[in-house]
Amino acid sequence: MSEQKSKEKKPSYTEFTLDMFSRSSGKNHAEIKQFNQWREDVVSADKYTFEMPHLTPQTPEIVVRRIHGDEHRLFNFSSYNYLGYANHPEVINAAKDALDKFGLGATGSPLLNGTFDIHKQLEHALTDFFGQEGYGISLFSSGYGANIGVVSSYIHKGDYVVLDHSSHASLIDGAVMSQGTLKLFRHNDAEFLERILKRIAKENRRILVCVEGVYSTGGDYGNLKDIVTVTKKYGASILVDEAHSLLVAGATGQGAIEKFDVLGDVDLLIGTFSKSFGGVGGCLYAKQELINYVNYYARSRMFSCALDPAVTGGILKALELATGPDGYAKRKRIVENADHLRSLLINKVDIGTSQSWVIPIIFGDERKSIPLADYLMRKGYDFSIMMFPAVKKNKSIIRAFVTSEHTKEQLEGCAEALIDAAKEYDFAL
Amino acid sequence: MTEQVAVDNLIIWEFDFAMTTFYEVDTDLITPLLPKQISPMEIVPGVSLLNITAFNFPEGGLGHLPNFQELIASIIVTPDLSRGVPKFAMYVFSLGSTCQKHLDHSADYYKLPSYKKLEYGKINRLDNTLEFGDTDGSILTMNNCSTNIGDFLGHERYFQAFVLQDDNLFIADLYLKAALFEHQDQGDAGIINNHPFLKGLELFDEERVPYLQMLLEPGTRGKQFYYKPEKYG
Repeated sequence: MSEQKSKEKKPSYTEFTLDMFSRSSGKNHAEIKQFNQWREDVVSADKYTFEMPHLTPQTPEIVVRRIHGDEHRLFNFSSYNYLGYANHPEVINAAKDALDKFGLGATGSPLLNGTFDIHKQLEHALTDFFGQEGYGISLFSSGYGANIGVVSSYIHKGDYVVLDHSSHASLIDGAVMSQGTLKLFRHNDAEFLERILKRIAKENRRILVCVEGVYSTGGDYGNLKDIVTVTKKYGASILVDEAHSLLVAGATGQGAIEKFDVLGDVDLLIGTFSKSFGGVGGCLYAKQELINYVNYYARSRMFSCALDPAVTGGILKALELATGPDGYAKRKRIVENADHLRSLLINKVDIGTSQSWVIPIIFGDERKSIPLADYLMRKGYDFSIMMFPAVKKNKSIIRAFVTSEHTKEQLEGCAEALIDAAKEYDFAL
Repeated sequence: MTEQVAVDNLIIWEFDFAMTTFYEVDTDLITPLLPKQISPMEIVPGVSLLNITAFNFPEGGLGHLPNFQELIASIIVTPDLSRGVPKFAMYVFSLGSTCQKHLDHSADYYKLPSYKKLEYGKINRLDNTLEFGDTDGSILTMNNCSTNIGDFLGHERYFQAFVLQDDNLFIADLYLKAALFEHQDQGDAGIINNHPFLKGLELFDEERVPYLQMLLEPGTRGKQFYYKPEKYG
């Protein structure tokens, strides 16, 4: 603005949030220029903590290289490697064996020529894991692909997709791709959901309600019991995404659906292999007739290459380990670790409603996000920082992902670093 | 941040009460209200934001006008980032005021879509509740939908306002300087009635979810630096 006279220039990264650069009116693509200016401001201030190459596996201690070339040894609280299977020796060996046997890539769509025997082994193993008669598994090359493929093939124009307000982007994108009408209900609020269902159920259209086992932002469980009850009352279908809970939640690791005993009522169960399995990919577990249909009509499956064989071999081994004594021990340990970290943080910082291995620490003002992420890294800790609009205004969070592999000392160091940061950045209780 | 310098095309508005609520609404519902050159800024595809803002301008807060209340309805739209990075860009589609002179001036100078003179703008500063209405009845009630109130943070923010007059689209730059409590609690924010003020926009109960709300710190005054609109596109 020519009328504006600059008095005090604050760095753009303490003024703007990423959503503000997402779109611009007009023909000139001003959002690209503004975003790059913001990014350059962060980089030139040496506070850029995104996209750092890791020089080590996703273990509790990692080495990363920042954008200006300096390497940092960090305690890792930002990985989804919940049970440590991403770098478990038996998982690595299984992946190597599959690599030797089947080659690097599947080089084809699963429906056409990309399905290998090892994929069928994984389908059978996962189906047996859930154990319901007449059910099956459809494999996808990513968790994102599973959600968009499943939602968009199950729901069509004129139908409804009703999502929890905290739903993952892949569910939202699936709803958009389906061309159904998207409705949001207040997070975990079954009464609110019922108000929506009561009205739209009169239209006699297909309705899919989508929720998650554990929410990756708040670390709380989905209110599965109440939401399943309401969904069934109105004749709607329910999808539960167990991305952050499969292999971890429930006595045998089936997920939140096991913990809350709703497996028999769930129509579509989505799993992800990039978290507790330590690999990459996703799956749908549902009645076999639905699996058959999705295998043909989920576009993200049909038009993507099948899971690569080595990863599939590793996932199979991770599943085998997770369903045996190793898995029971790791599940016990991750819960103890998360409880321990929460006990060290409670009453010192605001940890919201976390009940799981995802622990948000609410620091509030999003303008602190970039400096705070840099501060924590220089103190030797890698966390995931989330700001508006990914979380509510003035409710920005540091996310700590606890794993079964963290030691007591690492958890105590983590708590100390967070409490110090809270004092430094004025969010201590 | 930047400081305003008084120029011919700038008017500074001073207010002593402000409450603004952004409501989630179906994009399909609000699209007919928008000119074709601009698009809603959806929070997720299919869900847009309706904004309703209420002000109290004390006597002298806006030129020589007496104390009056104002109610503005807008849709949050894609900004034009070539002019700067605003907190929000809005397309204003209805303006009501308890002061006819203010309405006339707003239509003439700011090209704002004057609805008509409102009969009342009842503001309860202690409870942060309000009700606006006219001869057609109550337009809405609005209240603080957070379970608590505070922290009031100093905000100096840039906004953009699009308006349509005689099929011509205009854009205005605005700066707001105020101590605001900004939150996203989703409690009860009041009732929006199906009223002509909303230009045919009818909302179902469950779609009146508040997405974001801002309140001016009681006992303080805020300033709005509002530039004359320019023809857009």
